[in-house]
Amino acid sequence: MQKYIIRRVLFAVVTLLGVSISIFVIMRVLPGDPLVAILGVEGHARMMPADRERIMADLGLSDPLPVQYVRWLRDIGTGQLGKSFFRGDTVAEQIMHRGPISAEIAILSLIVSWLVGLPVGILSAFRPNSVPDAVARAVSVLFIAIPGFWLGMLIVLASLFWFGYKTPMVIVHLWQNPWENLQIVIGPGIVLGLAQGAYIARMSRSCLLEVIGEDFVRTARAKGLKEGLVVMRHALPNALLPVITISGVLLGFVLGGSVAVEQAFGVPGLGRAMVSAVIERDIIVVQNLVLLYAVIFVLVNVLVDLSYAWLDPRIRYS
Amino acid sequence: MGAVVAELARFSRRNTLSAIGGFVGLLIIVVALAAPFLAPRDPLKADFRRMNKPPDAQSLLGTDQVGRDTLSRVIYGTRTSLFVAFSAVILGTTVGSLWGVACGYLRGRFDLVSQRIMEILQAFPDLILAMAISMAIGTGLPAVIFAIAITRIPFGGRVIRSVALSIRELPYVEAGRASGGTTLRIMALHVLPQCIAPYLVLATTHLGVAIVIEAALGFLGVGVPPPTPTWGNMLADSITGLVPPWWLAFFPGLAITVTVLAFNLLGDGIRDTLDPRLSPAFLRMMAGGRRT
Repeated sequence: MQKYIIRRVLFAVVTLLGVSISIFVIMRVLPGDPLVAILGVEGHARMMPADRERIMADLGLSDPLPVQYVRWLRDIGTGQLGKSFFRGDTVAEQIMHRGPISAEIAILSLIVSWLVGLPVGILSAFRPNSVPDAVARAVSVLFIAIPGFWLGMLIVLASLFWFGYKTPMVIVHLWQNPWENLQIVIGPGIVLGLAQGAYIARMSRSCLLEVIGEDFVRTARAKGLKEGLVVMRHALPNALLPVITISGVLLGFVLGGSVAVEQAFGVPGLGRAMVSAVIERDIIVVQNLVLLYAVIFVLVNVLVDLSYAWLDPRIRYS
Repeated sequence: MGAVVAELARFSRRNTLSAIGGFVGLLIIVVALAAPFLAPRDPLKADFRRMNKPPDAQSLLGTDQVGRDTLSRVIYGTRTSLFVAFSAVILGTTVGSLWGVACGYLRGRFDLVSQRIMEILQAFPDLILAMAISMAIGTGLPAVIFAIAITRIPFGGRVIRSVALSIRELPYVEAGRASGGTTLRIMALHVLPQCIAPYLVLATTHLGVAIVIEAALGFLGVGVPPPTPTWGNMLADSITGLVPPWWLAFFPGLAITVTVLAFNLLGDGIRDTLDPRLSPAFLRMMAGGRRT
């Protein structure tokens, strides 16, 4: 197991190094002068070459690229993520301030997805091709197709028209006012949770059906166990592993999707910071946020793989 | 011709839902191609006498803040969305698949390095990567297509690689090697044709994803820039006002949902028919679990 953990973590570190290099390359080498973004085309054209050099040096953009890259890595190591071009606050402050909201949304959506998806999947697998199964499958196909941000917009509109209700637009943390905080995160959490839940229902159904066809399930039935016990005690634990994996893969969907869903709900989370930074071409903010998303995604999948290996010894010895 | 019809009929009997999806998908493609004939008005023409009108006889789906006809904009939006999705998926899946064939057939160091690169690409959430790339290379149609295409590469690469890995060991490929065929010739003539079925399955299943990413980019204001009507742009426009008109928020989203649903259903059916290897169980294995 130890060897497996070490190998898996090592691979993740290599991947993340590659990730940081590609982000850096995308942000620096591709066309587009960051100063044009800050000053506008006209302002940029009017600027003296000397001023330009001074500003570039101030921002640390005139050093050779490898130097800039190494400095970026060192900054990450010390927690100093650099400053936004446009805002007074540092990137680290933005993450500390907005991050908890987005994290809550992600965790809430994960909980919703399992609470909804797993029972639906089990119900489907209990009686395949029955009416409830058909309904469950139709609904999950539908929820996979509906874009979360559109569903979010409709929910916001409906609650505005019918109840005159508007969610708070400011950042309220869980520890400041749990009730207001819940109002902010519950919408995005449920929308993202339902979409994930649809995938989980699908996956748990197909995995359960696969397992139910195996010999040990037949044995359990043959010795006279009730069907409910056969499914819940014998089949389900074996079917859950792939569902855990898909949940980790779906995190990528949540991280990306939350950017659009936060925008739809007007939630001031990290996704909103990412959108405004991209539109303002604030490359320092974008490069750090993109890296943050990738780091979270990779680390969670390492955890998923490790839990998988912990639960299923066949993997760690292969 | 008769054989094709018979085959299609058989497919429809076995996968009624996907046949319906395919039919709706075809209709949507027709709408995209025939947009100039189907749209009742010019999608870009503002009409200040008819601003923010709810659906009525004159404009079936209402008008937007500057009096543009929503129905016409949705119809023209189909064009942009499908064009971006098809180009991005074809580009991304093709590059990924060719790369995958090379990885699976050549193996060795090339494969090892390529796998790391694909892992790096898969380390980004789709939408985040697409946003960063389209920001870096500027907005506009080609930028959006390119950004979405890159996010599709690793999927083609991984799945097709595994197909190529199993095919390279088959006796007829070995025979090709034994009779002195060059590596390139064997890859192109013996391995590649076997990858066409999974390629088609992959491309269909990723169309829906590409459409959603395109719409999300448009919604976030980093997609195909206005005034080009796209479903995502329309959704973004609809929430600029304090009290957004429901028809502006509803219909473009409905168009996205119906289109994605149609292509997903079609994709499921094609997958079940053409390639059991791309069943959920197999894709699950490719997507996670064993990343080593």
